[in-house]
Amino acid sequence: MSGHENTPEDDVQRDDPMIAAEWALGLLEGEELLAARGKYAADPQFAWRKEWWDGWFAPLTDAMPGAEPGEHVWDGIAARIAAQRPGGAADAPAAPAANVVELQARVRRWQWAAGLSSMAAAVALAWLALAPSPVVVAPALPVAAAAPLVATVPIGETGLRLDVTYIPESERMVVGAVGLKHDGVHDHELWLVPKDGSALQSLGVVAPGEVRSMTLPAAVTAKLGDGAALVLTREPIGGKPEGQEAGPVVAKGAFTRV
Amino acid sequence: MAARPRRSADEAREALRDAMVRLAAGDQAALEEIYRATRVKLFGITLRILGDRKEAEDALQDVYINLWQRADRYDPTRASPIAWLAAFARNRAVDRLRTGKVRGGAVPVEEAAPLADETPLADALLVDAEQTAQIHKCLGTLDARTQGHIRAAFFEGKTHAQLAEAADVPLGTMKSWIRRGLQRLRACLEASEAA
Repeated sequence: MSGHENTPEDDVQRDDPMIAAEWALGLLEGEELLAARGKYAADPQFAWRKEWWDGWFAPLTDAMPGAEPGEHVWDGIAARIAAQRPGGAADAPAAPAANVVELQARVRRWQWAAGLSSMAAAVALAWLALAPSPVVVAPALPVAAAAPLVATVPIGETGLRLDVTYIPESERMVVGAVGLKHDGVHDHELWLVPKDGSALQSLGVVAPGEVRSMTLPAAVTAKLGDGAALVLTREPIGGKPEGQEAGPVVAKGAFTRV
Repeated sequence: MAARPRRSADEAREALRDAMVRLAAGDQAALEEIYRATRVKLFGITLRILGDRKEAEDALQDVYINLWQRADRYDPTRASPIAWLAAFARNRAVDRLRTGKVRGGAVPVEEAAPLADETPLADALLVDAEQTAQIHKCLGTLDARTQGHIRAAFFEGKTHAQLAEAADVPLGTMKSWIRRGLQRLRACLEASEAA
């Protein structure tokens, strides 16, 4: 999000502890912010330093006057917790339900790691719970935590964007379209542009205003990597019709490993 | 709620730490206890950062629901519970600012200040006094300009770009000022830890 900078800023080394400090202060945005979140999840040293700054800055909050929230706030919390309690909503067969619960736990972890809002998590969970096809969960292999890939796809000059996070360990991708609105006439479809020049792979229609989590087929994950590009096309409702050309590209982005 | 004036701040803090540990162990009732004890402080924080009641209440809900989902993240041996919760609430509020959902961002201090239900914080909700004194002391060693920018970032959730615009300087200049300030701040804080 930073424009060109004429003033040299290299007089202070911008190492990880410095990025942790900037993040703790809340200065980061855009890709820098996503990168910091990813590093937090993957690098204990960085996480420690971020929390070190958080701890030191915390006393400053004492200067912020307290305020009484509305009573509905607690009701909302209690209701959300009751709804998310395992076993609180299960008329699905036992085995798939267990899978969904396992997935929910994973997604929750990722949401947490990625620092997305729990409202987003709730949306992703609701979507998972309603997914018509049985959700296949990869066996929980002891995989070394691979660094997530992140991409920001800015939408024109609107200041809005898609936040795309791919977590290699889980083969899941989280697409956040918070702030985007449905125009009622179009859908937008997200495509992976493989680096090897092979055909574009559809990553599905974007759900405006939501954060969705999806499992990617192996054919797609094989093409995913640092530098893989994403494009967003405008399509009729429902996405690109079979046998027709894809619509115009309205936004682009690329994955970076964090 | 604040209606336990006889209880000392230390006792209240211990009760909070205890509730956090019970929550991590799966005791859901502990969450309500934590909410009752900390909502005024944490709402003060989300409100200050977001500058909008509705957004701040949504952020506050997020804070407690996330806390319930991952209470085990709090390490009682490492941080005071109120300091940890305060940082957590502020981080969530800033996250919300950065999603682009909240266009206006935080309102300036003067506008945000007079709230009808503004409540002074009970002693029990203040972060450890020694730590407080130290961060203020170290901030005080910075030049006034840098201090002002660091405070604006912390209290108003400003980004580098917003600070640069407000000060009418190039982005690189602002980043450089702040980085130098943070570097000095870190040295000062580390020196106090070593002492």
